[in-house]
Amino acid sequence: MGSFFRKDLLVFWRDRKEILLALFLPIIIILVLNTAYSGLFNSDSESVNIDVALVQEDNEALGLERFADAVNGLEMSSIEKETLLEQAAQITPVRLIDDFFSNPELKKWINIKELKEEEATELVETGELDAIIKIPEGFTYEVLSHLMLDEQSEVALTIQAEEQSTEVSVLRDVTQNFIDTINLQFALGGASDAEAKELELPQGGTEVVEGVETFSMTQYFTIGMSTLFALFISQTIAIKTVTEKRERVFNRILLTNSNPIHYLTGKMLATFCLTWLQLVIIFTSMQFILDVFTEKPLVFWIGLLAVITAFALTVAGLSALFTILTLYLHDSNAVSGLTSLIVMMFGFLGGSFFPIQGFPELLRKIGEWTPNGLVQTTLIKLIQFNDLQDLMIPIIFLIGMFIVCLTIGIAFFPKRGRI
Amino acid sequence: MLETVNLSKTYKDKKAVDEIEIYLDKGESVGLLGPNGAGKSTTISIISSLLKPTSGDVRLNGKSTIKDPSEIRKVLGVVPQEIALYEELSAYENLKFFGRIYKVRKDQLEDRIQEVLGMVGLKDRQKELVKTFSGGMKRRVNIAAALLHQPEILILDEPTVGIDPQSRNHILETVKKLNEEHGTTILYTSHYMEEVEQLCNRVYIMDHGKVVASGSKAELLSILSSEDTIQVHLSKTTDALIEKIKNMEHVRQVDETSDGIRIITKKGSSILSDLVHAAEKEKSQIVHYQVEVPSLEDVFLHLTGKTLRD
Repeated sequence: MGSFFRKDLLVFWRDRKEILLALFLPIIIILVLNTAYSGLFNSDSESVNIDVALVQEDNEALGLERFADAVNGLEMSSIEKETLLEQAAQITPVRLIDDFFSNPELKKWINIKELKEEEATELVETGELDAIIKIPEGFTYEVLSHLMLDEQSEVALTIQAEEQSTEVSVLRDVTQNFIDTINLQFALGGASDAEAKELELPQGGTEVVEGVETFSMTQYFTIGMSTLFALFISQTIAIKTVTEKRERVFNRILLTNSNPIHYLTGKMLATFCLTWLQLVIIFTSMQFILDVFTEKPLVFWIGLLAVITAFALTVAGLSALFTILTLYLHDSNAVSGLTSLIVMMFGFLGGSFFPIQGFPELLRKIGEWTPNGLVQTTLIKLIQFNDLQDLMIPIIFLIGMFIVCLTIGIAFFPKRGRI
Repeated sequence: MLETVNLSKTYKDKKAVDEIEIYLDKGESVGLLGPNGAGKSTTISIISSLLKPTSGDVRLNGKSTIKDPSEIRKVLGVVPQEIALYEELSAYENLKFFGRIYKVRKDQLEDRIQEVLGMVGLKDRQKELVKTFSGGMKRRVNIAAALLHQPEILILDEPTVGIDPQSRNHILETVKKLNEEHGTTILYTSHYMEEVEQLCNRVYIMDHGKVVASGSKAELLSILSSEDTIQVHLSKTTDALIEKIKNMEHVRQVDETSDGIRIITKKGSSILSDLVHAAEKEKSQIVHYQVEVPSLEDVFLHLTGKTLRD
């Protein structure tokens, strides 16, 4: 096994073209993409500019009046009623939203203006605005009843957009963050009344990605391109089998009575090491060149290394599958074409070319379970939360993929030279 | 030691190998001759356990090798027609890799590598990458790789194709030495009759997937013992003249060659006067006339109707 491993590493190392492709090309592409798209996609807060309309359909005074009627109809002391109404007057939801978006920090990159719904819709359609935040009729009453009287709420704050974009995603995150903060404040405020349960401000509307941090496009390109090129290592190593077969080296190997598992394991080990090194080199280079993961804690780097290791294993398993494919297909062009197609398909579905967050639901789900897609989603989560627990299931899946590939590889390895 | 029993291999409707029976005794050097497409390489692949026969058997010391090829693989060294080496590795690195996977003992591997490199005369070039070698040098490393585990039987499939005379001589010397000094059993296929004549005690001639003749050189030459081969060079060769020669008494076969025509006649019959007469009638003259001692090449031509390089 060690002999096969050393041989495969040496053969790869001697092929300068492959080394250039595996190491330098992804770095160059990441740099080019980062430069070319930084203005378009960069979601770093200092460069994002979001134009949004606030459509106010709620009558705040009427809402407060309805809430007062509702409170007065309750069986409680007048002091309690008075306290509730005073609190309600202080936290009117519409004003809170207004105040939030008037924050000078936020105003630097979120331009909000109050418009009528028809006008706002028109501007969103023409692309002049990114999204609409709509405060529906009855919002004040519903929110106050929900928060203070524990009533069920039927209206919700909605964000409407013509299409999915980074801007819309950021806006959702910011809004969700705001709502979470309000909920938390209420929950903490209620704790003194002995009933410390978390209250929820109805938010509704389009889907919101959990979490508060966004990732930068530089990080996205680094992950997307490095995982894509890592997949290509599995193809490169497997394609060497074509040469081994064509030049009858493979037959000579068979004649040595070598265990097929050793041959496959050699290929997988070489793929694993090369993929691992490739990813570490790319990530390290990008960190030095672009400072791609700024001020990340140690836990992030440990997590990154763990994911890279698990992914390198999956790529190694994939190389076993591609090797078997190479041994079964007699046409080397067909092998090359098919394996390239598989890698490119993984690249597309896994979001190496475009973020999978922008994909339709079904494609996104599929993409998330491709090896590179899973790594991408996992690393983005790691960037956002720095939580190692989030890595457990993806790593188990990546190792699972490796075991499945290895099993298929061993089961289908030819016992003789030709099939 | 090694024998094939009614060995056949069919691809779709085509019989590549048709009930072949050959045997190799220990220490023998046996040649396998045949034109392109005769089925030599298929036969070798089956014997080497790389290909399963459609029917028949390959037996090593009486034991079938078809179901479990591991035993024959241990004693077999195969030198394929192709350069079965890693071009990106040096000769030494290639031999080290193959030595390891042949499970040559670690403490013996280095000596063994140097020994086989010495055999093929490439000790001083061992650190160079195979891709920088000439065709002949590559073929020599190709042979060295098959010798690492000291095989009892060595199968060589046209090991001298397309190489320089120096490398060719070196290879022939190596094979001869292996057979005579080390007692290695040899199965040698070649397009070059003189190589087989030089190296082999016995020869099998294959055509269309069948063995059409076999035996020692003397036995094969006796096939032509009833015939004479006459090489004639004429000042002018016409179709009419060839037709006339064909119709002469005692003439069995006429072939045009690059030097003129080759006539096979009944042994001891003289056609010279008839030939002079016929040439005169066609306004031609005999420039050269020679009765040849038959060679294996003539036997081959007689049996297959083709030259070896067809």
